[in-house]
Amino acid sequence: METLYLIFIDPFVQMVVEPAFLVEVLIGGLTSGIMYSLVALGFVLIFKASGIFNFAQGIFVLFAALNFVGLMDLGVHPILAFVITIGIMTALAFVVDRLVLRPLVNQDPIILFMATIGIAFFLEGFGETLWGGDVRPVRVGIPDAALFWELGFGEVLVQSADLFAGVIAAFLVTVLALFFHFTPVGRALRAVADDHQAALSVGIPLNNIWVIVWAVAGFVALAAGIMWGAKLGVQFALSTIALKALPVLILGGFTSIPGAIIGGLIVGAGEKLFENYWGVPLLGGATEDWFAYIVAMIFLFFRPQGLFGEKIIERV
Amino acid sequence: MSRPGDILLSVKDISLRFGGVRALTDVSFDIHEGEIFAIIGPNGAGKSSMLNCINGFYHPQDGTITFKGEERRQMRPHEAAAQGISRTFQNIALFKGMTTLENVMTGRMLKMRASFVEQAFYMLRGRQEEIAHREKVEEVIDFLEIQSIRKTPVGRLPYGLQKRVELARALAAEPQLLLLDEPMAGMNVEEKEDMCRFVLSTNHELGTTIALIEHDMGVVMDLSDRVVVLDYGKKLAEGTPDEVRGNQDVIDAYLGVSHD
Repeated sequence: METLYLIFIDPFVQMVVEPAFLVEVLIGGLTSGIMYSLVALGFVLIFKASGIFNFAQGIFVLFAALNFVGLMDLGVHPILAFVITIGIMTALAFVVDRLVLRPLVNQDPIILFMATIGIAFFLEGFGETLWGGDVRPVRVGIPDAALFWELGFGEVLVQSADLFAGVIAAFLVTVLALFFHFTPVGRALRAVADDHQAALSVGIPLNNIWVIVWAVAGFVALAAGIMWGAKLGVQFALSTIALKALPVLILGGFTSIPGAIIGGLIVGAGEKLFENYWGVPLLGGATEDWFAYIVAMIFLFFRPQGLFGEKIIERV
Repeated sequence: MSRPGDILLSVKDISLRFGGVRALTDVSFDIHEGEIFAIIGPNGAGKSSMLNCINGFYHPQDGTITFKGEERRQMRPHEAAAQGISRTFQNIALFKGMTTLENVMTGRMLKMRASFVEQAFYMLRGRQEEIAHREKVEEVIDFLEIQSIRKTPVGRLPYGLQKRVELARALAAEPQLLLLDEPMAGMNVEEKEDMCRFVLSTNHELGTTIALIEHDMGVVMDLSDRVVVLDYGKKLAEGTPDEVRGNQDVIDAYLGVSHD
């Protein structure tokens, strides 16, 4: 009886009694959620355009952030460091296309997937060789202060860095969505994602498109890397956090940009709510690490294509 | 109905092998400007392989293809498209997530001249271009009478209409040579009649040279100016529909006389 009360009644009573705390939890969850979305977006871009699940996307986030912070530590101005890092990520996209994707074109997806695992391990090691394995703080002047918001029902504590990250992420996501829907290059990207053969026949050169997509994914990785770095410091554990994108993708659907965004928000908010209202009182906490994966698994039973994924239609 | 024009595309001694399988062996023929040219033959005769060689999906091991007087051994698909070769597919290859309008618009992809940056940021030149292309696309949509489905995602359209959208996308590129791989396959009689009408008016009104593969003999005989017959990857006969119809080899191939 006691347990049932704690599971089904008490959490909701708490939410109503202390709405300010609920809002804090939600804001915290949504801001980390939007950062999951950013990482997931990188996966979606590449998966849509080339049908490759790029296991290395998480490392991309880390590698981009490492380069950015490394350059800044060498005394490079943040804006210049940002531009140089974008250049590095574009060059990386080019190299991956030439050395990995082209030789493997037309192979089974599993082969390409294995290749991206190879890229992931290489980049992890290469990044450490270049910049060392220390945790590096990101100092780009993102304001870090605790703000107190007076709402009707109480005072809410918000971290300004969280808000800043949320705004930047939302902005990026909007720009990408517009780019995909309203520009000819975006249209070409979507065309390639939709049907390779048809794309070739209307004259879209696949290889160029792949370089563009991988470069855009690198840019998104850099943005995500800076945000996470500002929050936690740039460290190798970032690549593990990036794997949170997997449950996000399962929720949102592997081929949907809005899906990646909303999936990220759901995972972020969901795990914070669960941790605070169920995890801590019932299980002693530390549920944030696995909650998202359990949700994703349950989701797979009922809607394997995700919330926004293309319906799996088998025409016979 | 034959109108001998200049040679637009000349296929010479093409051989294509996949491992040990000979898909095409020493096939030669010419396609003249302004004609409707049919490639026919029993299943597995190498008809689709031939089209795939012409538009660069396959690269033949031997032989040459001369298009507009330019001889080449192999070409990438996007180069073929840039040269003015458009095509449709046997099993429709449309962008299923996009609307009819967007699909047809992709046919204009190669005509867009604004730079990548201009397009990406939708600057003035990019925008002017977009408008000009939209006009051309609307013309094609009117021509093929698909105005009512402009905003429908093509995945939702019935089969016959999808085939028509695919033709529209090919026409939007204003091709000099249009390759149609079984444009009437799987259609009912009414849809076939529509498609025949569109193929003919594309040829007559737009002056587009057409090479098509088709199984329906009635359709082939009615539409085409000239026919080439393939069997087991080799050329069996070439000529006007009447000539081909009377050819003993062709009759044998279709009725299944044993090859010795």
